[in-house]
This record gives sequence, C-alpha cells and structure tokens, in this order.
Amino acid sequence: MASEQPTPLLEFRNVQTYYGRIQILKGVDYKVYPGEIVCLLGGNASGKSTTMKTILGIVKPAKGEVLWEGEVINGLRTAERIKRGIATVPENRRLFPNLTVLENLEMGAYTRTDAAAIADDLERVYGFFPKLAERRKQRAGTLSGGEQQMVAFGRALMSRPKLICMDEPSMGLSPALVDQNFELIQQVNEQGVAVFVVEQNANAALSIADRGYVLQGGRLFTEGTAAELLENPELKRAYLGG
Amino acid sequence: MGATQTTPVREASRSGLQDVLARVPRWAWWTISIAIAAGFPLLNLAGVVETAWLRVGVVSLIFVLLSLGLNIVMGETGLLNLGYIAFFAFGSYTTALLSSPKFEIRWPFLAVVVVSTLVAMVAGFLISLPTLRLRGDYLAIVTLAFGEIVRLTIINLVPLTNGPNGVTGIYSPRLFADAKPALEGVQAWFIIDKPIEYYYLVLVCVIVLAVLLTNLKNSRVGRAWNALREDELAAISSGITAVRAKMLSVVLSAGIAGFAGALFAYYSNVISPESFLFMQSVIVVCMVVLGGMGSIPGVILGAIVLQALPQLIREAAGAARSDFEVYRMLIYGILIVVMVIFRPEGLLPDKIFRREAHEVDPRELEMTRQSLFDLEEGQKDLEV
Repeated sequence: MASEQPTPLLEFRNVQTYYGRIQILKGVDYKVYPGEIVCLLGGNASGKSTTMKTILGIVKPAKGEVLWEGEVINGLRTAERIKRGIATVPENRRLFPNLTVLENLEMGAYTRTDAAAIADDLERVYGFFPKLAERRKQRAGTLSGGEQQMVAFGRALMSRPKLICMDEPSMGLSPALVDQNFELIQQVNEQGVAVFVVEQNANAALSIADRGYVLQGGRLFTEGTAAELLENPELKRAYLGG
Repeated sequence: MGATQTTPVREASRSGLQDVLARVPRWAWWTISIAIAAGFPLLNLAGVVETAWLRVGVVSLIFVLLSLGLNIVMGETGLLNLGYIAFFAFGSYTTALLSSPKFEIRWPFLAVVVVSTLVAMVAGFLISLPTLRLRGDYLAIVTLAFGEIVRLTIINLVPLTNGPNGVTGIYSPRLFADAKPALEGVQAWFIIDKPIEYYYLVLVCVIVLAVLLTNLKNSRVGRAWNALREDELAAISSGITAVRAKMLSVVLSAGIAGFAGALFAYYSNVISPESFLFMQSVIVVCMVVLGGMGSIPGVILGAIVLQALPQLIREAAGAARSDFEVYRMLIYGILIVVMVIFRPEGLLPDKIFRREAHEVDPRELEMTRQSLFDLEEGQKDLEV
C-alpha cells in the first residue's frame, strides 16, 4: 500500500558493516515508508541488532548508504538523527531505573530545547498512557513490565519521531505481555508514526506489520508483504512452526 | 494498584527526627554551614582555637575542592578514577615551577592558578582519549596506573621537579606581578601568607565551586552525566553524545584538581612526590563515597570528616601517642565497609542514590518475580 509513495522515510542501500574484521551485514536493502509498520525477522546473529545500531549511527556502514528522507546520513551523529525524527525503543527497554517516570520521559526530549512544546508532548504522552500520569513520580525500575514498556514508548515519543525503531519488543516477556506490547505498537502507529520492528517472534511481528524483511547471516533471505511472508513455505518451516 | 502504594513505604522508613530535618529548607542548611565555616577563624582570632586548627581547616577545604572534582566523574558520571591525585600533582607542580626560586619565576597568582588548572585539564583530556571506551574495572586499573606513572615521573624527572626532594620555597600568592614601589603599602593587601588568609581564600573558592556545580548538576550537562551513569546505551539512544559528555566530565574534574593543587602548593610552600601517593587518591574516593556519591553537600561533609577527624582523634589521643597515622588507613577501610553495608548512599545522599539504596518497594519485589517468570517463559538471546 505504501510502496507507491516516492521517498522512503528510511532506506538502506547495499549496507555492509564490520565489527573489526568480522563482517556482519553483507549488503542489505530496506525501505520504510511514512506511516508503515515494517518488521525485520531473523534468528540469532543474523544482523538484526547491527541493523538497529546502524540506523541510530552507533555503528557506521563500511560500504553502502543509509538514507533518511532521501538524504544520505552515513556519517551523521546519533543525536542529530534523533533530532531529525528517528527514535528507538531499545532491547529490554533500557529505562533509567533510578530516575522517575517523569525524568525518563524528559530524557526522551533531551535533543529538544523547545520547553513549551515539550510540556505539550508530555501531556500528549500522559493522555496516551494515563497510567504513566498516575506514576509520574515513581522510580521507573519499580514499575511492572507492561508499564515499563509504556515508559519506553513514551520516552521514544517525546522526541517527536517520524520513525520508531523497536529492538526485540517481545524479548524476555511473558506471552500476555507480548500481546499487550504489539497492541501498543499498533496504537503508536495509528498516531502516524512509522515503526520498524526487529523481532525473533515472527508470528507476532507479522500479525501487525504491513511488510517484512527476513535476514539470514547478514543477507536478506526474502522480503514481502506480511501476508506473503506468512504464506512463504520456507519461512513457515524455519520460523513459523508450520 | 494505585500510585499511592509506594508513598507510605517511603514515609515509614523515616523516623520523626529525619522528618523534621527534611523540612528545613535547603538554603537554611547552606546559610548555617557557611556561617559556621566563615566564623571558625574568628574563634582563632579570639584565642579560643589554636592556629594549628586553622591549618587543618585550610587543608580540609582543599580536600573539599578535590572531592567536589572527583564527584563529577565518580558520582555524576559513574566513572571510577583511582589516579585522581595525579591531576592534583599537575596543578601543584605547575604552580611550584611558575612561582618559586627553582627557575626564578614569579608569575602573578591569577595567572599561575589559571595555567595550573589548564595544565591539569590538558592532562585530563589526554588520559581520557584512550580510556573513555573502557568501563568499570578496566577504567579503574588504567587510572590507577596513570596515577602511579605520574608520581614516578615526578620522582625521576629531577631537572624539572627535584625528584624526591620536591620543590621548595614556593612564593606566597601575589595578585599582581610587579607592584610599583609607591604601591608597596597597598600591595601588602594582595599578598596572602597567613593561615587565616588562606582559609578565607579557599573557603570562597569552595563556595563558588559548590554553587557552579549545583547549577551544572541541574543542567542538560548534569542530566546527560546521570543518564550515562544509569544506562549508557539508553543515554546514547536518547541523543547524548557519550564520548563528549564523559570527556567533559573528566576534563572538568581534572581542572578542579589542578586548581586545588595550585592552592595546595601555595599554601604548603613545599611540595614533594609524597603528597601524591596512590593512598591520597583512595582517600579522596573514600570522601566521596562516605559523603554520598553525586551529592554536593555530601562530598563536602565527607571531605571535612575524613580530613579533620583524624586530627581530632590524634589530639584526643594525646600528642605523645602520635602513632594514630599508622592506623588511619585501617580506620578508613573499616569505615567504608561499614558505610557500604549500612548506608551505601552516603551520609548526605543524592536523591537518585537514595532511591536506589533504600526504597524497598513491594511492587519492586513483585516486578523481580515477574521478570524471573518472564525469563523462564521467554527466549534467551545469545546474540553477540
């Protein structure tokens, strides 16, 4: 549905990355269009986390190009990328456990200096997750798993992103929380924010995604719409338990 | 499940007295403390307190400066530095060389202090280049080695430092380099050489620094440091440039140590490598831990307690039994162990460390159980 739009929000063109001498990404291409949910599937050591780090600029590509709204951003610093609209919900949420909910949310707006707009966005996040308003003065580390996920989302939204990247949102969560989490992703997406989900849990990810990519050993194994991927026989055997 | 659930837990852990003390506003504490600190030398003038105590006061205040500096890296940013005294040495030796008969140079006080601070900052910058990618234990080892390298270099760089003999006869601070003869009478005002003058000089520096650091702590920079201490990856993901923020913290803390070193060199007239032993670094770490990491009033108190208390004990034990020095480190060690067990957040804790150490919350226990359950249910990620 989104593929007829001209400029992707985020695009990878033949991106290759190394950790020292070990090549992790061996030339991958992704596109994420505005407002889409795109998932990236793959097993352990397939390059999923490296993809995340490359989007954020924590890892720089050795070859190939990362584009943001049509512009090459290979050398751009993380802070600058966040200013331009890339936000992240890291693996295991990575809240600041000893800061309060409010302080955690404020950290999400770290790259911004427009105090009035930040206050508005804080209210928006509280409106979106009323539970966080109740707990604004509570230490983030003392929240339940589901509430922590809300803080992680809220923190990402505080930078007014166009794209939220989620690293393994189902990691280490009980099945009930996984479902809750994916509902949250859909809710956030309905606000017009594109979501790029990196996930091992293929079924859960494809149930909400528009399109998906499958990584294997640093290369794209296949790609397609969520429906196509769910029907893909090889994928079924490998990931979907079919 | 209401938000009120945690509040009673916090209240219950406080006794009545603590509650009353907590209600005294912060500015009142500052005013009382400054009044006591500023009034102390007057007791000496009135003849109640011996001048020896004033000297203890000056050295204590210099250590307050050092602790405030170390607190920036250790308390705020969470980087353990076991060679902090090296920056103090850089400041001291720079001052000694720029204001002593060694090379017959006598620069004005302000120029010397600024250059000493800058030299220490440059040293901090250089050491931060290779070390900032290290974490925890590795950083501790490298900084420890750095401290020792600096000390051994001082001992062996005889042409510059006089080696183990140290630099002697450091001139008293003089605000202007060459006073005209006509101004000789006026100029006496600008020479600082009595303990009481040093005391007020250092006290003013402590107050100014405490105010500056309090503002910095509540600024974007301070929040970036705290975020890095809490979770580096999360901090980077929030748009903090980790290397730059850490470097700023190391360089700033080095500069404060250099500044303190300059005052120390002026005050003691003589400096030698003995003042910059590894143990001195450990003592400053103890001051920060005892007072409360990340807490500005805390580290001020910690430094005064650990610097002045041994002298008090020595006095109490009687001048004849001056073997207290032998047990000093033993007592420090026991004190730190006791603190870490019973009050890990320090005497006057920072709010974040207090939260971390003491609010045992039933929800948190529940949360731990839940995450253990989640771990069993979920998959373990073996990805590098």
